[in-house]
Amino acid sequence: MTCRSSIGAIALLAALLLPPFLLPDAGARAFDQSKYPDLKGQWERVGSPRWDDDHAPLTPEYQAIYQANLKDMKAGGQGIDPTYTCLSPGMPRIMNVYDPMEIVVTPATTHILIQHNHDMRRIFTDGRDWPSDEEPSFAGYSIGKWIDSKGTGRYDLLEVETRNLKGPRVYDASGLPFHKDNKTVINERIYLDQADPNLLHDDITVMDHALTRPFAANKKYSRSKDPQPVWLEAQCSDGNHHVQIGKENYYVGEDGYLMPVKKDQAPPDLKYFNKK
Amino acid sequence: MLYRGSIGAIALAAALCAADAGAFAFEDAQYPDFSGKWNRAPFPGAPRTPQPAYDPTKGWGKAQGAPLTPEYDAIFEANLADQAAGGPGTTRGFTCRTGGMPLIMTLFQPMEVVVLPDTTYILIDRSNVQRRIFTDGRDWPKEIDPSYVGYSIGKWIDADATGHYDVLEAETRSFKGPRTYDASGLPLHADNESIIKERMYLDKADKNLMHNQITVIDHALTRPWTVMKDYRRDSSPRPVFVEEDCAEGNPWVEIGKEAYMLSADRQLMPARKDQPPPDLRYFNQSRK
Repeated sequence: MTCRSSIGAIALLAALLLPPFLLPDAGARAFDQSKYPDLKGQWERVGSPRWDDDHAPLTPEYQAIYQANLKDMKAGGQGIDPTYTCLSPGMPRIMNVYDPMEIVVTPATTHILIQHNHDMRRIFTDGRDWPSDEEPSFAGYSIGKWIDSKGTGRYDLLEVETRNLKGPRVYDASGLPFHKDNKTVINERIYLDQADPNLLHDDITVMDHALTRPFAANKKYSRSKDPQPVWLEAQCSDGNHHVQIGKENYYVGEDGYLMPVKKDQAPPDLKYFNKK
Repeated sequence: MLYRGSIGAIALAAALCAADAGAFAFEDAQYPDFSGKWNRAPFPGAPRTPQPAYDPTKGWGKAQGAPLTPEYDAIFEANLADQAAGGPGTTRGFTCRTGGMPLIMTLFQPMEVVVLPDTTYILIDRSNVQRRIFTDGRDWPKEIDPSYVGYSIGKWIDADATGHYDVLEAETRSFKGPRTYDASGLPLHADNESIIKERMYLDKADKNLMHNQITVIDHALTRPWTVMKDYRRDSSPRPVFVEEDCAEGNPWVEIGKEAYMLSADRQLMPARKDQPPPDLRYFNQSRK
């Protein structure tokens, strides 16, 4: 009776203190956020938005493509970097985090939200297998698995594999290329720093036919201290001065006139306009 | 001793709770099930329109019956004339800018709604729409950087007093423009002081049907304009979200104040009859 009284008292106390919303419900689906690492908030890139371009293990064929791209950039062109037209950077470049990132964790999906140029990702963690007929995309198709690597009873690591990509994609603004077959496979390990829970790591390993061996990078992100961080809307098309006409890229000046980006660049062909 | 036992048990329970201060079980069942993929739902008997209209129950353009002020009705008429000539009118979707609020809630592409206690996320792939409706009880910030989607504060309501939330009421402010209601070019005021109120809830008889009652208060209107939008949940438990990158293959190019089109060989073409070509004054030579 004594114990029953105690239990009864606790139950009564709980019933009195809890708002009705928190009372048990037959259809209740509890998402225990404490099982997952606290990835809430606003994350900003630490360091440069680049890969180690000088040490990329490119095949000779793709090294030549990369060098030609650098030469074009030096002349004022965009090389093979397609993002000047506001095309999505795709994976793994999305994880360079050009604009602040929010990570929304739910049991079935972890959402990576970045404004920039269409840098939104879904990492499915519902145990699904690779689909057989998914459309290729710049962000690719990502399947993840939460890991309790330390045996603490809580997840501390998100392992992700991304496939089914489309191109063109490059690693960063240097134009470091991926193979045009787009058969890239990208593995990631996303976890909080053990010493600093406001530092997030993403160990990225890329396997691609333009490489002689896997190419790895450790990306780091720092959490904003603001409990209500500001999320600025980034619209690439807003104020983008670059236009692509034919195979050429041009610049639209502040005065609204088309301008060359390279010395002696030919103007666009105006054959479709009436000649006066 | 007996009382000490009770107090001890409560203390132990409290200590266990305190020891796991970060632990937080989010009770999904408190909220309506908005999960899955939502597509724009057709309204039976609605007139056919060239593109999804803002009020889905009415016809295109003037048939929307938007309560525009005379000034903005004239702007709308001029826009229609430009569109009839091949131009984009007042719309800016051809540049791949987001249409902003309230146009994005027409769902030109499927929507995913992610409900967490502090924020409800509206995710629409087209133009990378990531809308946050803050439900953490915050007040309007003193300074908000204007945006096309605006700043949204929401509140969950237990309208039916069932002990569960069933309505998300949201208010959105702090916009930038230009914005239109739909591709017909129905304009919002250039001052961008619109206030948009929404009530999002599941249909009582059909939990795979979501309603969004949207009321726009705008200086281009003579009175608030309310429309109802319906969304239908995809029946697949693992729906496909197709990436749509507007910039990919966009046939439009904006040069100065002119919108041109690109041909199949990606060369410039006029969008309107007798449209002059762009001024090439900055080039050393001109092709003949």
